[in-house]
Amino acid sequence: MKPGLKSICLACVIFLIACAQKEELEEVNYRLKWLYNVSTVGDLYAETRGYFTRRGLKVNVKPGGPERDALKELELGHAQFGVASADQVLRAAAKGAPVVVLAQLFQVNPLHWIYRPDQTAFSGGDDLKGKRIGVTFGGNDEAILRAILARYGIAENEVTLFSVRYDYMPFYERRVDFWPLYLNAQAVIIGEKLEKAGETYAFLSPDQLGVRFVANSVVTTREMVEKRPDTVKRFLAALLQGWRDALDPRNQEQAVQVLLEADRETPEAVVRRQLPVTRELMLPAAGAEFGTIDPAAWKQTEEILRSQKLIPGSVDVESLLFTFK
Amino acid sequence: MLHRRIYQFLVIYAIGLCLLLALKYGLNLSDYVIPSPAEIVQTCRTYGGPYLLAVLNTLAVAILGHILSICLATLVAVTGRLTAWIGSFIRTAAYNIQAYPIVAVAPIIFILLGDGLQSRLLIAAMICYFPLLLSFIGVFSEPIREIEHFYESTGRMTWRLQVKIRAFENIQKLTTVIVGSATMAMVGTIVAEFIAATAGIGYSIRIALYQSDLAKILVALFWIGVGTSFYLVSLEWVGNALQKRLRSL
Repeated sequence: MKPGLKSICLACVIFLIACAQKEELEEVNYRLKWLYNVSTVGDLYAETRGYFTRRGLKVNVKPGGPERDALKELELGHAQFGVASADQVLRAAAKGAPVVVLAQLFQVNPLHWIYRPDQTAFSGGDDLKGKRIGVTFGGNDEAILRAILARYGIAENEVTLFSVRYDYMPFYERRVDFWPLYLNAQAVIIGEKLEKAGETYAFLSPDQLGVRFVANSVVTTREMVEKRPDTVKRFLAALLQGWRDALDPRNQEQAVQVLLEADRETPEAVVRRQLPVTRELMLPAAGAEFGTIDPAAWKQTEEILRSQKLIPGSVDVESLLFTFK
Repeated sequence: MLHRRIYQFLVIYAIGLCLLLALKYGLNLSDYVIPSPAEIVQTCRTYGGPYLLAVLNTLAVAILGHILSICLATLVAVTGRLTAWIGSFIRTAAYNIQAYPIVAVAPIIFILLGDGLQSRLLIAAMICYFPLLLSFIGVFSEPIREIEHFYESTGRMTWRLQVKIRAFENIQKLTTVIVGSATMAMVGTIVAEFIAATAGIGYSIRIALYQSDLAKILVALFWIGVGTSFYLVSLEWVGNALQKRLRSL
């Protein structure tokens, strides 16, 4: 065989092998709950650093947003995996959606309320009496706040609920005592502004007041678990490994770079402050696996939604929480 | 007229609803994605009353905003008719300002005016104002030569007479533009409420979206359609009455 012909044959073989490998990748869509931000760092890490590819998957990680509902996309077949908050999952399950929870990303709900200790004395739930508290009516912060009030026997007329919008002016102007935000996202930015203004601040944690309302979890459909268990296993293994590595302090530089590539709007300094907070909220107790599902917290979330009539009836929580045996 | 408009809206609404339900049963979707007829009826029973009140609240703000826009557009167009340069300048400014998405301007409005009635009113007026202004400038700056020539040559032309002549000759066009912009006033108010208000149907829709409750949104859409139909028919009726009266003069 002539050398030229040999080279062409070799190139063809390499090309065919490459094509075959590419074809082997199973493509799935993964719809996040919100836009790319620090709460999606593990998802992005797994995608960009080839964790999914190594498991034979081509995962399209798609940002979420206010109009995007991963659960609806799962049912419509537009996505095979998604991220949803527990209240979304329970509302969907209560209406017959065939949803299954694979992993719980946040072990502590990042939703907190910021307040100024010099203006607002707060040492426990009872201190909420008489305070002006920001709340997004219809949002899960409303459900959490009402659960806290119920837990401490505070009637609605004993507090002033202030409707929250997207700007923080009412809090900056001290018209509101408590303002809801996400501890690992906005809290870093708002905290920095308050520090620059020489103000002190602290956070009200629902978790510390005994209200454990589950936040983001990885979900799929029952059909996926039953008909494509191997795909689900590979996806979950790659995703959780991605999360573990992204939150490992030794990989902080890579994680920051991955996030900055996807989220060009957030300054690097902010991302660097957000990452350790996210780590604290997501890492499970010592000895537990990343993504551990907390059934007790799920049951409490279900009870909160049911008691506030946000779901029409009870939901069998155990049947939603899936673990591979 | 009202009967026809409502009837047409109901037909469109029913077709939309049937398509949604066909999709639901065709694809075997849960009530979470598309609610069942029973859930829609139940939601209508529970929220039909409050949502009707919310739509009336929105409609009241939309009407106020619309009236404000008509007055302002008339004022600016009458002023702008004086010279070609001012008219051209106002038109260019209107085109430019109209190009800004209201969601980008809204935060500034809410910081300045808060999230009460004033902001809703201003945003509603802004959304329907510029299309009105452009049409009004066109109408009031275009001379009706065959009529105006007579008054000008006899030295009896005043600015009031000029405005009256141009308005009278273009009354049908003005009525059409005013009716057309009424829908935009309603949309503007709903957008304002959706962004940051604490009342009105836009605010209710925002809450329903947070709760992924399509049944509530369907009920809201129903009342918005009915409310808008009533308003449009009222405007058409006023426009027709005005035209008849002017013709009889």
